[in-house]
Amino acid sequence: MNDINQTKKTLLIGIGNYGRADDALGWKFLDEFSTLSDLYDFEYRYQLQIEDAELVSKYEKVIFVDASHQHLEKGFSFYTCIPAPTSAFTTHQLNPETVLWLAGELFDDPPKGYVMAIGGIQWKLHFGLSNQAKRNFKNAIAYFKKEESSIA
Amino acid sequence: MKKKITIDPVTRVEGHGRVTIHLDEYGKVEDSFFHIVEFRGFERFIQGHPYWEAPVLVQRLCGICPVSHHLAAAKAIDQLVGVDPEDLSPAAFKLRKLMHYGQIFQSHALHFFYLASPDLLFGMDAPVEKRNVLAVAVENKELARKGILMRKFGQEIIQAIAGKKIHGVAAVPGGVHKTFDPKEREYFLSGKDIPNIKTMIEWSLEIIEFIKGYHEKNRLLLDTFAAFPSGHLGMVDDFGNMELYHGKLRAIDSIGNITLPDVSTNDYQKYFLEGVERWSYMKFPYLKEIGREKGWNRVGPLARINICNAIPTPLAEKERQAFVSFTGKKVNNSTLYSHWARLIEILHCAEVMNDLLHDDEIMSDDLVREGKPRLEGIGIIEAPRGTLTHHYQVDEKGMITRCNLIVSTTHNNEAMNQAVKWVANNVISQKGTITDGMLNQVEVAIRAYDPCLSCATQALGQMPLKLELYNHTGQLIDERYKSN
Repeated sequence: MNDINQTKKTLLIGIGNYGRADDALGWKFLDEFSTLSDLYDFEYRYQLQIEDAELVSKYEKVIFVDASHQHLEKGFSFYTCIPAPTSAFTTHQLNPETVLWLAGELFDDPPKGYVMAIGGIQWKLHFGLSNQAKRNFKNAIAYFKKEESSIA
Repeated sequence: MKKKITIDPVTRVEGHGRVTIHLDEYGKVEDSFFHIVEFRGFERFIQGHPYWEAPVLVQRLCGICPVSHHLAAAKAIDQLVGVDPEDLSPAAFKLRKLMHYGQIFQSHALHFFYLASPDLLFGMDAPVEKRNVLAVAVENKELARKGILMRKFGQEIIQAIAGKKIHGVAAVPGGVHKTFDPKEREYFLSGKDIPNIKTMIEWSLEIIEFIKGYHEKNRLLLDTFAAFPSGHLGMVDDFGNMELYHGKLRAIDSIGNITLPDVSTNDYQKYFLEGVERWSYMKFPYLKEIGREKGWNRVGPLARINICNAIPTPLAEKERQAFVSFTGKKVNNSTLYSHWARLIEILHCAEVMNDLLHDDEIMSDDLVREGKPRLEGIGIIEAPRGTLTHHYQVDEKGMITRCNLIVSTTHNNEAMNQAVKWVANNVISQKGTITDGMLNQVEVAIRAYDPCLSCATQALGQMPLKLELYNHTGQLIDERYKSN
């Protein structure tokens, strides 16, 4: 029941799975900031779904944090999320752009959105990040902490 | 030249299935199949686990209706600790029931608004890019918005009781582990934070008006599309009224004769057998006495409305009466009426949740009962998609030695195959060119049953679909894929 006593303006949504090696990056990122719960609300997701549009519409800012298959120059990429409808095979699994677009279509103005993509290389059933993902994670955390005041 | 059409995957359903349609050299349909090509195996790997893990582990076979599996397993596990459904504390019974009706409410909302409504709003021949909920959001914002908020309401009822919207834990052997608190109740009743339960009832009535309007304009389609005789199975209370959490099993044939006369769920093995086919991982349950060919039954909303004497909440009962008046109170065997029946159940669930939320007993702390341990437990409930059976046997140490799951979608296996055959014979056969709209009609027929193929076979999965067309020599001559 996220609506009860909701006071924070920024929502962090981590997308991933602890049990799938580097796919845990999104959730671990949220864990890292869990002590800052006076600043953020946190939501852990295996995947984004249609009803998340209603959830994000209640915030001024939302930051989607997910692992990325792509090679990212700094090991991570932080960018503005532009609302857009995208057609995919299944609407059980939406991307951040579509969630923001739906929020704008159906509810209030969509929040300002950002994506923190962190590079991973291993996705099998396994608990724990690869060494490469650990380095990327560290860089992403350092960047976010440095820029946090201007983002959140 | 003979031809085989393949639809792979079937879309806007839960799980992964494939349709093949075989045509002869004149383009006439020879045969068709709805193949379930995933396999999961929960029945096997639950063996060796302690019985109290079953409600937590087995619910993982689904992300849409885990509550149904959690509660069916819990009912079976209750019996293993010597507690029958009528022995639960009133608080535990009502909290489980509240969660169960919240589950059916959210699952039906998901199916109707996210999966089925594009076919009704835009037509079966609409371009593929329009046949999804995003297009509904553009062209019918109010419908989409209400759909999302109704699903959210049901999910939050689940979260309030089980701690999480998906894969939470509420039931423990002999009861539940958490009661409702006044603040939680206020959240659902006040309307300050979210649209409240009264609004859910109002919106449920509105959406029934929508389907009535659709029916008025498309009655011939609803009456005839994938209409075929079948048995119908579900659960009723002691008065023969609709019951979704605990009752007796009733089945009727296609003209209303009783084929299973309100029997105890504990006795299900006396009455049912399961057949298998080499082309599907999903089994085919049927009534022993009638046999494999004619003893199969539809389950789910349409079946439940067909078998019950009444619905025990006033607004839904009024809607049921309007529904049955169109067939002169005869059994309704038309597939597309499932959507209307599902919406009447949404209203019923909202009414039951309203009653339970106003019942102080849901805040009682009398939550768990104990009894004399047994070696066998059977739990049957009416899940969103129909009658769901969990059956466990344990050894003296309480370790599970045998598990049998008969999942709702399994009962509908034959009905879905019949529906595919109907479309193949009436829409595709001898038509020459096969259009995307024709193929979508195959999916529309399957989709009306809201199948959950991951539940029904225990496989990893989303539900892609493949349509194959074979010639008379068995050569594959055409195929369409909807890939992941």
